[in-house]
Amino acid sequence: MTSASRRDAVLAVGAALAATTALLLVLARPAVGQQDEVARGKELFAVGCSSCHGVNGEGVITPDNQRRGPSIQQSGEAGAFYQLSTGRMPLADSDDLPQRKRAVYNADDIAALVTYVGSLGDGPALPKVEVANADVARGGELFRANCAPCHSASGAGGALSYGRAAPSLGAAQPEQVAAAVRAGPSQMPVFDESLLSQAELDDVAAYVEYLRAPEDPGGLPIGRIGPVPEGFVAWFFGAGALLAIVAWIGTRAPARPESRK
Amino acid sequence: MSSRERVAALAFAVSTIASVALAVVYWRGGQTQLEGVCLFLVTGGIGFGIVSWAKHATPHDEVTEERHSVASSEESFEEVAAEVEASATLDRRRLLVGLAGSAFAAMGAALLFPIRSLGPRPGKDLKHTPYAGGGMRVVTEDGETVHANDVPVDGVLTVWPEGHTHAADAPTLLIRTRGDQHFRPRAGREDWTVGGIVAYSKLCTHVGCPVGLYQAESGLLLCPCHQSTFDVLDGARPVFGPAARSLPQLPLAVNNEGELIARGDFSSPVGPGFWDRGR
Amino acid sequence: MRAPVTKRLARWLDRRLGAADFVRSALNKVFPDHWSFMIGELALYCFVVLVATGVYLTFFFHPSATEVVYNGSYAPLRGVRMTEAYESALNLSFDVRAGLVMRQIHHWAALLFLAAIVIHLGRVFFTGAFRRPREINWMIGVTLLILAIFNGFAGYSLLDDQLSGTGLRIAYSIALSIPLVGTWLASLLFGGEFPGPDILTRLYIIHVLIIPALIVALLTVHLAIVVRHKHTQFEGPGRAEDNVVGERLWPTYAAKAIGLFFLTASVLCLLGGVAQINPIWIYGPFDPAEVSSASQPDWYMGWLDGALRIMPGWEIRAFGYEIPNPFFPAVLLAGVTFGLLYVWPFLEARVTGDRAEHHLCDRPRQRPVRTALGVATLSFYVICFFGGASDVLSSTFGLSVNAVLWTFRFALFLVPPVAAAITYRLCRELSARDGLPIESRVRFREIPARLLGRAPSR
Repeated sequence: MTSASRRDAVLAVGAALAATTALLLVLARPAVGQQDEVARGKELFAVGCSSCHGVNGEGVITPDNQRRGPSIQQSGEAGAFYQLSTGRMPLADSDDLPQRKRAVYNADDIAALVTYVGSLGDGPALPKVEVANADVARGGELFRANCAPCHSASGAGGALSYGRAAPSLGAAQPEQVAAAVRAGPSQMPVFDESLLSQAELDDVAAYVEYLRAPEDPGGLPIGRIGPVPEGFVAWFFGAGALLAIVAWIGTRAPARPESRK
Repeated sequence: MSSRERVAALAFAVSTIASVALAVVYWRGGQTQLEGVCLFLVTGGIGFGIVSWAKHATPHDEVTEERHSVASSEESFEEVAAEVEASATLDRRRLLVGLAGSAFAAMGAALLFPIRSLGPRPGKDLKHTPYAGGGMRVVTEDGETVHANDVPVDGVLTVWPEGHTHAADAPTLLIRTRGDQHFRPRAGREDWTVGGIVAYSKLCTHVGCPVGLYQAESGLLLCPCHQSTFDVLDGARPVFGPAARSLPQLPLAVNNEGELIARGDFSSPVGPGFWDRGR
Repeated sequence: MRAPVTKRLARWLDRRLGAADFVRSALNKVFPDHWSFMIGELALYCFVVLVATGVYLTFFFHPSATEVVYNGSYAPLRGVRMTEAYESALNLSFDVRAGLVMRQIHHWAALLFLAAIVIHLGRVFFTGAFRRPREINWMIGVTLLILAIFNGFAGYSLLDDQLSGTGLRIAYSIALSIPLVGTWLASLLFGGEFPGPDILTRLYIIHVLIIPALIVALLTVHLAIVVRHKHTQFEGPGRAEDNVVGERLWPTYAAKAIGLFFLTASVLCLLGGVAQINPIWIYGPFDPAEVSSASQPDWYMGWLDGALRIMPGWEIRAFGYEIPNPFFPAVLLAGVTFGLLYVWPFLEARVTGDRAEHHLCDRPRQRPVRTALGVATLSFYVICFFGGASDVLSSTFGLSVNAVLWTFRFALFLVPPVAAAITYRLCRELSARDGLPIESRVRFREIPARLLGRAPSR
């Protein structure tokens, strides 16, 4: 090789290497807009969440060995979205049980926090969900197989052990359903793509949507959970009405008996 | 008409109108609530009318009727007993009576035998599931095989032995516990799990309901029927409720294709207990 | 002038049946008309409505376990595999005109049939109307209660939905738990291992023929005995053990009875149209590997379900044999319950030494011991009932289901004696305030000795 062509070769390789490195650097970093989101989320997180979940989401254990807040590094975008959009987080007192409330953060802040928490580890990403063309019947079958044991067949929720509860799904939006299914928050198991495909997730979310306002051809639904409320109605309204009717038709015994035996 | 009679008349009129309304509702396609309300008015109108009429328009003098002791008098009872004894000459033919009695009793016993046809001998079916063949792949309800990484951490999946997805005694729970949950295998079952996935029978050992509630955070299985609670991390031992025995465990392994298989049947008969379960 | 048509018809019948004298004595029969004596009638009328609506339902229901694919008008189940039984129940609910209202009236009538029986049993118990000569009728009544419970369970299990199928699974396991014969009994009843191919057809014939026929037969005897004995009555002016004061069957009592039938039917119709019951389309078809939270039987079996939950996890095991846990609350307790009910009249007669005929009802406050024992027993079963709803109570009121169950465990043994003591005091005070003599002949502490026949009866 001549010295000139060797120089050209080195330049060519160097340029290629530089281009590749630049490309890799560009690809590896989040896009400029997303970097803003993460930063904004980190700020919000520091103010509203870090006191219980730690500065980097690693969880906080108090000096007397109580856990104030669990690690959320593997919660992923899905977990964060579920907790924040249903208002379960932030939790005023870490001893309370999380419950659905009005969300504290607005949609933009939630998006920022979701992006930040997602970046802390490799937890589940925010799932897409599309209920418009879903198969409600298949969703029902999947719901009854996977969800009804805890949430009851009508989505009314149910008791778990030691004071915990599977919540009622009456206020659940499809995005929240999808996020919960992928994240498995709190006592809920995790259902990832290998257990429920994207199409099946759409179907389940569509069925939950149906359960929020199901057909009630029989009249007043009285809870849709079956014999317990039905028994109360039978006794209070049914037996009550029948006893009132016989009290009207029959006589009452005289107050002072004067019989001879 | 007195005011009470007017009330009764009104009730009958309402009932009549409601009957017509009911016919119209039915002819127009039917609607459950309207049908119920119409029927309520139809029957209620008649009932209210009749009772109003009865309470206020019919005679109300209290009447007294004699009541005699229920038992017959001593004399009549003895007379009848004597007549029956006199007409039958049975007590002088003890052998005949005895044979007749045993004939009836034997016939009664013989007629019970067809009951045996109602069902098969219980036999060993209660003690084995289709897994007993050994080496069977586990499949989902759709018949698809399961690889170890199909079950996520904190995930739960119901599977059956391949080819037996309709076997009511074979539904099995695959659960993948978390690393921080300290799974403690029972003695002799150290190799019954695959990469953190443990398999238990889904049938509660109390009265057989499927134990469908997996509480992932605490590693507890809760049966919704009577709240029996099983500790997944400790061989599904019952920690609360009426169940008295752990959920039987299935020995898991992987085959050459990485699919999950069962090396043999469950560790003990599945489901609720019975008299000779332990023999 | 020709006689009115009714009279001519009656004459035509009399020429062929000759019933005029019988009819006169029948129509003149006197019935006391206290309101609490009409509760048994409520049960009777509920039964009539059950039969009427039930016949209609049998024209559409298919008690078959053949698997089909649903293609009816309830969209969320279209394309789903299910048994013909479940499919025909869906058809009744969505595609047969007036099918749903009939189904719902039928189910509400079943719930109220049992409520009326239980209230009627309570009335008879607390007024001592089971004493001689009415012990046979009492035992017939207890049998009717048991038959009604079984028929209700059989009826809602026919539909093969997830909730009732779970109940059948539990019934199978309870049969299994009986020592020695349990595995045979379960196999013979179900035709094999659960679920078995024949359970729906067997339940069907039991539900529409065998038990209703038994109920009709026993009801007829029950009513015939009431007519033979004449009804009991409360003490009052002019009332004695050797008379019965009230209204004649015709026209007053008959009018009230017929009116009560229609009013009972009207309550059932209103409930059937306006209050949804047993929404099987939400529960889905039965799958033995699936279950929903909040799984309970219909109310009249709630005490059994509660007993199953409250019972701690104890079993007896020896030499490879065992008496499994469910046997104690579901078989032993049930057996003791109904056994005690059957023999109560004889137990009370033995303890009080009172073997005379009684046609006057007690006022409960005048029998403090019996009333207190009755209330205590009732409170035991009421706690069992609420125990059966433990998970629903927990999730409704935000309580720990474990804490709720422990509470019921303690309550089961602490509440009945307290209830007995309070009732006893209340009875004595109310009687004293009204100037009524206490009729009780026994003190609590004398009961064991008297039962064993050691203390002399008065």
